[in-house]
Amino acid sequence: MKRALIVGGGSGGTILANSLDRHEFEITMLSSSFGHLFQPALLYVAFSHARARVVRDERSLLARHVNLLHDEVTSINLKKKTVTTRNGVLFPYDYLVVATGMHTDTSQIPGLSEINAEFGDYHSSLAKAERLSYHLDGFRGGTIAIGQSSPIIKCPPSPLEGVLLTDQLLRKRGLRKSSRLVYFTPYPRPYSAEPMNEVVEPLLEERDIEVMTFFDVKRIDPINRTIFSIEGDKIEYDLPIIIPPFVGANILYEPADAVDEDHFIIADKSTLRIKGTGDAFVVGDASNLPTSKAGVGAHLQAKVVAKILSGHPATFDGRTSCPFDTGDGRGTFVIGSYEAPVTKARPTRIKHLMKTAFQRIYWISLRGTLNPAFDVYFKLTAPKKAAATGN
Amino acid sequence: MNQTSGRTLVDSRGSSCPGPITDLAIAYRRSKVGDVIELWATDPGVKADVNAWATKTSNQIVSIDETGEKITVIIRITKR
Repeated sequence: MKRALIVGGGSGGTILANSLDRHEFEITMLSSSFGHLFQPALLYVAFSHARARVVRDERSLLARHVNLLHDEVTSINLKKKTVTTRNGVLFPYDYLVVATGMHTDTSQIPGLSEINAEFGDYHSSLAKAERLSYHLDGFRGGTIAIGQSSPIIKCPPSPLEGVLLTDQLLRKRGLRKSSRLVYFTPYPRPYSAEPMNEVVEPLLEERDIEVMTFFDVKRIDPINRTIFSIEGDKIEYDLPIIIPPFVGANILYEPADAVDEDHFIIADKSTLRIKGTGDAFVVGDASNLPTSKAGVGAHLQAKVVAKILSGHPATFDGRTSCPFDTGDGRGTFVIGSYEAPVTKARPTRIKHLMKTAFQRIYWISLRGTLNPAFDVYFKLTAPKKAAATGN
Repeated sequence: MNQTSGRTLVDSRGSSCPGPITDLAIAYRRSKVGDVIELWATDPGVKADVNAWATKTSNQIVSIDETGEKITVIIRITKR
């Protein structure tokens, strides 16, 4: 029996654990958390008062044969094939899969920790999303500045979803005319990839949302309520909704060059093997793969690694399919892959319903029982490869 | 990203939009005045994006070269 050790209990780790054959592997998952958060729901907790069950016990999501241990991994030795935890326990492995995700780091930007503690955000935790919801409830007019403070982000459409849902919320409450909405982004255009930007930019104009491009947050002055960019611009705000920078898990690796400056794991973009190894893999947001950090990536990567571990050839093609709520009951999907740049897809009510429906089936999808349906969906929506990549 | 004494190599080859401009933004965040960033990309959209970025940030594009599919952009950081 081969020992498969999975570090991290998010989407990728859970799907992988449930996908491996129990007759072939002794599966152990190490997770520092008892609860499993459905992260996309934080958007609706913050902007729509969603109160659905967004956290479930990780144990309840895993097949019975998966050995779940709650401990924090502090170091991984890829040469000796061992993992060490905060409690000093050493785990040898035959196969390792790192699925530690990424987390927000407000310390990177002066002033952001104070702002984040006061106003919350919709990417860090349920408590922070509830904090933001509280401040949106209390908003009575003025300037809301909303955007991402760093180019590395979880779910690329989420900053725009935030500003479009804020607009919707203010209109519902009769506050839109007394409010100014400013969207800032480090990119040259509101949506980073041009084809989707062609969909998004008219929406922002139509809804009177101001856009500041090439706005990479340098520091925040909480006393004078001003955000400054590296590029030399500034925004004065009454309510700041700032998505913090993200970093990988704080784990010590041997060799140290298995991770980059932000602790993201360097891996082969097709086989997902961690640099310099044959038996250690990464799935989900923990890697520095040149693809979007989103749940769908974790899902597809977990399936690829499960196949490789079982001796079947498989590769990850960089596929993304990020649901994008554009407000007013409409939505779209941002679809692309390594060889197929993101395509233009107009928002519709059906796509919004698909996003809403996924929230209901997420927990079941972790078990793998819906894989045949997902396979059909991914096949039907496969992006066309471009002869030469471009905007 | 490979950094040696004020010169940073950013290899974004094989990454489609917005990969190269994302990588450049990250390198810029870590740079200081006088540094040189060498960006490698294969996405043709990188030329327009980098030109717009340099205009906005008042940094200097030293050169943009194309060899086959590979586009090499050399940028000198003159403003932070």
